Amino acid sequence: MRIIVAIKQVPDRDAQVRIDAAGKWIEESDLQFALNESDAYALEEALQLKEKHGGEVVVLSAGPERVGQTIREALAKGADRAIHVACGDLGARDALGVARLLAAAIKPESPDLVLTGLQSEDLGFGQTGVILAELLGLPHATLILHVDVEGSDSSQARIPQARIKVKRELEEGWFQQIEMPTPAVLTIQSGGNKLRYATLMGIKRAKTKEVRQLIAAELGVDAAPVVILDRLTLPQKQKSTQILPGTPKEAAAALVEKLKFEVRVL
Amino acid sequence: MLFSLSTAALPILAEPQHFSLTEKLIFSGIIIASASAFWRRFGVVLNKILHSKRDPNFHLFPLGKRVWDFFWEVLCQAKVIRERPLPGLAHAVVFWAFLAFALVTLNHCATGLGIGFLSPGGFIGRWYFYLAAVFAMFCAVGISGLFVRRFLIRPKWLGAKLSWESGFIAFLIFALMATYLASFAVTDTSLAARVLWWLHTLALFTFLPIIPHTKHLHLVLSPATVFLSRGSYAQIPPLIGDEDFGLVAGTDLTQLVSLQAYSCVECGRCTEHCPAANTGKLLNPKEIILGVRAYLNDLGPSSDQPLLGKYNQQQAVFQCTTCGACEFQCPVGIEHVPILVGLRRGAVNTGAWEDDYGAKLFLALERGSNALGISPAERDKFIQKQALPLFDGTQEYCLWLGCMGGYDPKGREIVADFARVMNYLGTSYGVLRKEKCTGDPVRRLGDDLVFQQLAEANLEALAQNKVKKIVSICPHCVRTIQEDWKEYGTPPEIEHHSEFLARFADKLPSQRGADGEGSALQVKGTGFSPYNPAHPKSPGALAPEGQEKIVFHDPCYLGRYRNVYDEPRAVAALAGTVLEAPRNHERSFCCGAGGGLAFLGEETGERVSHNRAQELVATGATTVGTACPFCNSMFRDALATTGEAPPQLLDIAQLAARALPTANPTKDHAS
Repeated sequence: MRIIVAIKQVPDRDAQVRIDAAGKWIEESDLQFALNESDAYALEEALQLKEKHGGEVVVLSAGPERVGQTIREALAKGADRAIHVACGDLGARDALGVARLLAAAIKPESPDLVLTGLQSEDLGFGQTGVILAELLGLPHATLILHVDVEGSDSSQARIPQARIKVKRELEEGWFQQIEMPTPAVLTIQSGGNKLRYATLMGIKRAKTKEVRQLIAAELGVDAAPVVILDRLTLPQKQKSTQILPGTPKEAAAALVEKLKFEVRVL
Repeated sequence: MLFSLSTAALPILAEPQHFSLTEKLIFSGIIIASASAFWRRFGVVLNKILHSKRDPNFHLFPLGKRVWDFFWEVLCQAKVIRERPLPGLAHAVVFWAFLAFALVTLNHCATGLGIGFLSPGGFIGRWYFYLAAVFAMFCAVGISGLFVRRFLIRPKWLGAKLSWESGFIAFLIFALMATYLASFAVTDTSLAARVLWWLHTLALFTFLPIIPHTKHLHLVLSPATVFLSRGSYAQIPPLIGDEDFGLVAGTDLTQLVSLQAYSCVECGRCTEHCPAANTGKLLNPKEIILGVRAYLNDLGPSSDQPLLGKYNQQQAVFQCTTCGACEFQCPVGIEHVPILVGLRRGAVNTGAWEDDYGAKLFLALERGSNALGISPAERDKFIQKQALPLFDGTQEYCLWLGCMGGYDPKGREIVADFARVMNYLGTSYGVLRKEKCTGDPVRRLGDDLVFQQLAEANLEALAQNKVKKIVSICPHCVRTIQEDWKEYGTPPEIEHHSEFLARFADKLPSQRGADGEGSALQVKGTGFSPYNPAHPKSPGALAPEGQEKIVFHDPCYLGRYRNVYDEPRAVAALAGTVLEAPRNHERSFCCGAGGGLAFLGEETGERVSHNRAQELVATGATTVGTACPFCNSMFRDALATTGEAPPQLLDIAQLAARALPTANPTKDHAS
């Protein structure tokens, strides 16, 4: 079973993001970057499928040179090889443009499954995976927490006839189970698995794993964006703290009321 | 005249003067049989040690400390006696008698072959045999005492199973001494002298081959083990090359580890002081060492079978708080901490350890900045709220907050109070704009990948900010920065806030009232007298009426790891009378947080922190003084369970800050 995991390097969660001088993108010079969270879960799902059914996991990422660090970390966690689409203008491309790059890299690999995080932490379009499926002409499902492969035989490296059962997360604690054929594209929701930690052994082994470099400009895809980014702004800071008055009992009752009907988490 | 008369009256050691050829042949046969039986086992052990991996960072020089340790711990038996005075002394007299008997035994063998060199009647021989006789008497009493202890008193640390071999050995040692002493009561031509001589011979050459087959192997190995230590306490060796992930399999066992494993004398002092073993955990440090030995016996140092599994259990290894009490106590020079951390490294660096809490901690530090997994924006807010100055290269000190000082509510209180004291003293300091965890918990849990990332990032940040001196409220940060970061660069000078505060103790207001009695701990300036083990530290010294009674808990990473005991007491003494808990100074009992365990969730068995909190409360103190934010965090909950009115819990910085003028202190003193 060949699984491709499309991952994205995004600014670190703890990074202090500043908007650049042109107002079109963020200041990248002093930022720390890390693997997008839901992509980390996509990678984990792929690694667990490989451990259960055999095959290989290939990570794919588009971006500038710094993406190499994140690719190596993914290899350290257990991916077998990687494809890096070298591309210095990722921020200028819209979801369609990025999906075109990824699709061009994926097609020659003819994978059984393509997994990717459901959305990126920086732009958060939630579109790339879906467009990718369309470009590849494959069925897709979104918001996946868990994948089961049926009719697989771990002795076989490829299982073109396998069907998969996926668990989707819906609103308000509802789940949906879907059966679908492979090959397919799935966008993975965070939290379905427990992530594994990177190990020293993994990092050392990753040094010898293959990272194939593709040049974005040589893939022959249309780079012109259809969505034009106009302007970036930071959200306004606002405080919306409410003090609930009354005795502890009254305050607790009021809090439950609010949690039930305003915030709707109970 | 008097001299010669008195010596003439003393009996002389009776040795048979002539041996027949048959006797000589039998004697030679016994020597050869005994020596070869000794070597058949000892050769195997030596081979396993020598064929273990070389210790890559081992340096024999400088020799000074090694020679001193050998003299003090081996020849003087100082540690053996200090940590268990009565049995220690009994052991010491047996050991010293063995030393005295080296020459006696050599002469005994030479005599049997007809080439004796010490004549019992000659001046040297005569006096030497008298000297040996004195040792022999002490030894006979000592070994009898040890026999009584092992077989009648039966301390639980020696294990539930009676060791009959130990009884037999004790009997042989007693027989050696008895036959030697009895020889003074007979004449050298008598049959009795001959019988005693042969009994002594038999005891001697029965003893010899038993040595390598039992824990008495320590007789031969432990002097070398003490001499060949890693060089400093609880030192974690660097990993070398692309295939070194810690102690994974036999091939990772180094010569020092193997030597130490075979040196264990199974006395159980490590277990007696282990916080895990004392609170019903699986971990027993003695069994860890014996597990490594059993592995070496069965599989040897070339095996690629995992070390964890059959011989030692992963769960036990991850219950260690790295408090180091075991290593501190060990009389034969075993270094438990590097072995336990080495086994953890082997499990974590290869991904074999699966633990939800552990993985959460590692992931938090792979991506984030602190072990608590909180956004660094919270640290920024704290710095702003407390108006802590940012370090800009002009200040004397960089105040290192650490994860607890930057994110934990109680840790922040300690930092705030310490900052107040520094303001009062007019010390210039600043905090780093960004700080990452020093890597202490991941280092001790064995995640070398994350540790390296954190150490390198921090070293770079400190170098960029041109930091020369660091002060920190956390002994774990201090240890990790000063010792563990050395693997990746040169850390700035660092001290713990207790050392800083003690240096300025005479400039800080005392809260002790006019009497000032009993302030022996209040040390002026920097000249601290080193801790004197002979000085009694009786628990629960009486405090004068109306004075606050403060029991100080020695944090492992400040006491045993840094040898700082008097400084925090000097600071606490500013605020009241310092009491001692039964387990204090080097014998302090861990709070349970070290070794990354603060992050690993619920313990099995009794909680270590509860055990210690009860002990601290039992001193009758009104305040528990700490000097570590992790201890503070552990005792916060533990003290609440000890009764209705538990003592208050304060860091020494808070004790020192309490008497400062409450009005804006910087107004009066900063200039």
